[in-house]
Amino acid sequence: MSRENDGFVFHRGLLQAVLDVAFRVINFFVRWDHLPTLLGSANLSVFRERLREHNLRHTGYGTTPPGWSTGNDRWRSADGSFNSLDHPRMGMAGARFGRNFPLPECVPDSVDDLLEPSPRVISMELLARDTFIPATSLNLLAAAWIQFETHNWFSHGVPEPENEFKIPLKTGDTWPEDERVDGCMKIRRTVPDRTPREPWLGATPTFRNLNSHWWDAGQIYGSDRDRQMQIRSKADGKIEVGSDGMLPADPAHPGADLTGFNDNWWVGLSLLHNLFAREHNVICDGLKTRYPTWNDEELFQRARLINAALIAKIHTIEWTPGILGHPALDFSMRANWSGIPCRVLRAVLGENSEAAYGIIRSPTDQHSAPYAMTEEFTAVYRLHPLIPDDMDVRRIDAAGVEHCKLVDMQGRATRKFMETHGFVDLLYSFGTAHPGAIRLHNYPNFLRQFEKDGQPLLDMAAIDIVRDRERGVPRYNRFRELVGKQRVKTFEEITSIPGAAKKMRAIYKGDVDRVDLMVGLLAEDLPDGFGFSDSAFRIFILMASRRLKSDRFFTDDYRAEIYTDFGLDWIQNNGMKSVLLRHVPQLGPALEGVNNAFAPWNVLRGSAWPSS
Amino acid sequence: MALIITIPGLVRLALVRNPDELLRVNDAAVVTRSLSGRGGLFNRSVAAKLTVFRAPDGDIWPAFRDRHDPLRAAHQASLESALSKIDALLQQIAPEITELGNYVGGRRAHRSMGVVVQQAVGRLFFPDYLASEESYAAARTLQAWSSAWPLRAAWLRRSGALKAALDRIQTASRGNMACAHATALAMNNIVKSIELMRELALHGDNLAKIEPKDALLRTLRAPARVVRETRDGDFIGLIRLRSRTLVLLAVENARQQRASDPGFAFFAGAWNQCPAHGLVPALLSNVWQAARTRATAGA
Repeated sequence: MSRENDGFVFHRGLLQAVLDVAFRVINFFVRWDHLPTLLGSANLSVFRERLREHNLRHTGYGTTPPGWSTGNDRWRSADGSFNSLDHPRMGMAGARFGRNFPLPECVPDSVDDLLEPSPRVISMELLARDTFIPATSLNLLAAAWIQFETHNWFSHGVPEPENEFKIPLKTGDTWPEDERVDGCMKIRRTVPDRTPREPWLGATPTFRNLNSHWWDAGQIYGSDRDRQMQIRSKADGKIEVGSDGMLPADPAHPGADLTGFNDNWWVGLSLLHNLFAREHNVICDGLKTRYPTWNDEELFQRARLINAALIAKIHTIEWTPGILGHPALDFSMRANWSGIPCRVLRAVLGENSEAAYGIIRSPTDQHSAPYAMTEEFTAVYRLHPLIPDDMDVRRIDAAGVEHCKLVDMQGRATRKFMETHGFVDLLYSFGTAHPGAIRLHNYPNFLRQFEKDGQPLLDMAAIDIVRDRERGVPRYNRFRELVGKQRVKTFEEITSIPGAAKKMRAIYKGDVDRVDLMVGLLAEDLPDGFGFSDSAFRIFILMASRRLKSDRFFTDDYRAEIYTDFGLDWIQNNGMKSVLLRHVPQLGPALEGVNNAFAPWNVLRGSAWPSS
Repeated sequence: MALIITIPGLVRLALVRNPDELLRVNDAAVVTRSLSGRGGLFNRSVAAKLTVFRAPDGDIWPAFRDRHDPLRAAHQASLESALSKIDALLQQIAPEITELGNYVGGRRAHRSMGVVVQQAVGRLFFPDYLASEESYAAARTLQAWSSAWPLRAAWLRRSGALKAALDRIQTASRGNMACAHATALAMNNIVKSIELMRELALHGDNLAKIEPKDALLRTLRAPARVVRETRDGDFIGLIRLRSRTLVLLAVENARQQRASDPGFAFFAGAWNQCPAHGLVPALLSNVWQAARTRATAGA
């Protein structure tokens, strides 16, 4: 047993082995997204098995063993420890990010090559938004939602001033003079992992996740006990809200609400945090009615379990099919949650089968490595183009729109903006606005010259490029190869966006292997209905299932003794639309006939959707 | 110019023999020590062979650590520092040098010369290192494994000989992976050099005529081939290497083209410079000198 994987080994079944060969043959002739729905869905499950076998790598825990607390067996600990009772450090806050590729593939370029080509040039030439390209199948809540979720899953921490990268600026660059050092733009490095390195890590750099890795709604509840106690009302298990029903201000973070994780705060996050804080409190009321003897702690923790599972369900069967609108994917995500509703299949495959009964309630399995979020996962979640530079704020009870800039809706200005425009109108406005398409030339310009408290002026687009490079995430072509796709030989094979291949060839000096991951993902031609690239999707296939399958609270312990019958029914019977309507019933007409709450809502007054 | 062979699905390799080219390829950013096994069946089989050179807990043998691995640099620096006390170390292994000198001078050895070399090398790390016919056989098994054809490789693995050899070497090396590498793989080049010295010494009055320094230049041997892989495609000088090409650096072949430079065999001055680049030439010179001394004394 090697320390490399902490003893976890993947076991492939005979059926999986046969299907693997069969789909290798099929995919030689037909891509998965061109297959009929059921075959396409089976193809995705074959991809997932391959990825489970080859694309999970442990990098060590990087934490000391946590102490046991009462209740760790029955509910989620604040820091995510003891989710696995045998491996208590797995997935806890402070544990290292894992990898999706063999560790020798995850080594940064040498210093000379690391900043080539210039991230700033890429930001200006390939990423900068010329005109806003909307994603017309989605509403802006979908953009806020994914940030809401990533704040649950990972944080590398706030970079500190030390040994910054210096990016030389070309003549004519508009980067402000007073932000330059020696004619260069400075980019702070990712917070280093200073824990002792295991010798088998080789040259692969490691970084720690400050948040719990689990899908535990840590963005609402925090990733440590102190923070959790700060957000609680300490009565009936509820989260503290003000007399107006809104989250209170965080005294340590001007403009942000007091919640589990409130970095990079803006109105979109405030809306969702307030919505699910209210949901938590309603769940507490339901539990209190049924279990009147339960104390504050018991009510809080049980409500957290239910709320976290509901969020996971919404993400799985609403948000994901919303952004990846392909019938095979829609079918697969529903099967992930509740299985394929076919009696014959269930009888043949048995109750432990993911395909027949869904991952939920199936046996916990870590496959080939201990559970951890991965650096590659964070890399494919660089979805900043979803954010528009401007949005129209509407009133639900009156016609007319107010044109607002996103930069005025974030950071210190957030709470003021929320107070001015109100929770209901802002939710309605988000539901009736489009996010940006996840494409080249659609990176929000305000984020390319972004002021953040305690930080130098930021070009987030350039920073996104640097982050992948410094963390040793393979560049685009090798990334493709490592997720099981063919390498491309020319820039034209990546993209058909007019002029993009030519620009990329010039910037990357004709070397297609040097194309940065994010650039390749944004440039790549998409399968029908997809909101982002197929290459990024391969990581999603693996990790979306893994977040559920590795977590005992979604698998072995997804049972009434832990969740209560009330809790299981609540998760079963609710979705994003019912949550919205429960807390904001005024949205009823806007959501009338809308099947997916992340699709555009009805515009009740004033001008209709430009695209309709 | 490098020889490049590509047969889709079977092999993608480049054989580099020109000394300048070899150094350029060795230094290129896209060329790595770790092998992914991609590129064809042959590439996969070579990569699979090298994966065994790890400690039981997954630690990588120093010679297989990648360029940017901080532990590689640290190991290299500390070992180089330890091996830089050449006189003291040669004094420490004086009995083995004498025994090797006797062998070079033509006397029959009462044990395999390889055992003596292994013990000499082992005692550079642990003064009480004890080599035996069994430990040398283990080293030969590992050397054979590295270059074995598929059937023999399969036999070595299935029979348990490979595992037994690894266990024996690692036990003898007390968990010191640099020692394991030196006493299992690297020592083979010294064995070859000693054999050549013996041939040289037995020919006419070479032993008296040839100075130790010249004897060293005529008998020093480098590893026949060192393997690398290109992570991504790139031009290195005039060679265009595609991604996932298995690169065979024919070090011995190239060294023969640079026979006047003993440092070439040790990648002296390169990032992967052998920490024993000063010690091994001194050891070989001393062995030749010991053979001369014995011959003089015998006369």
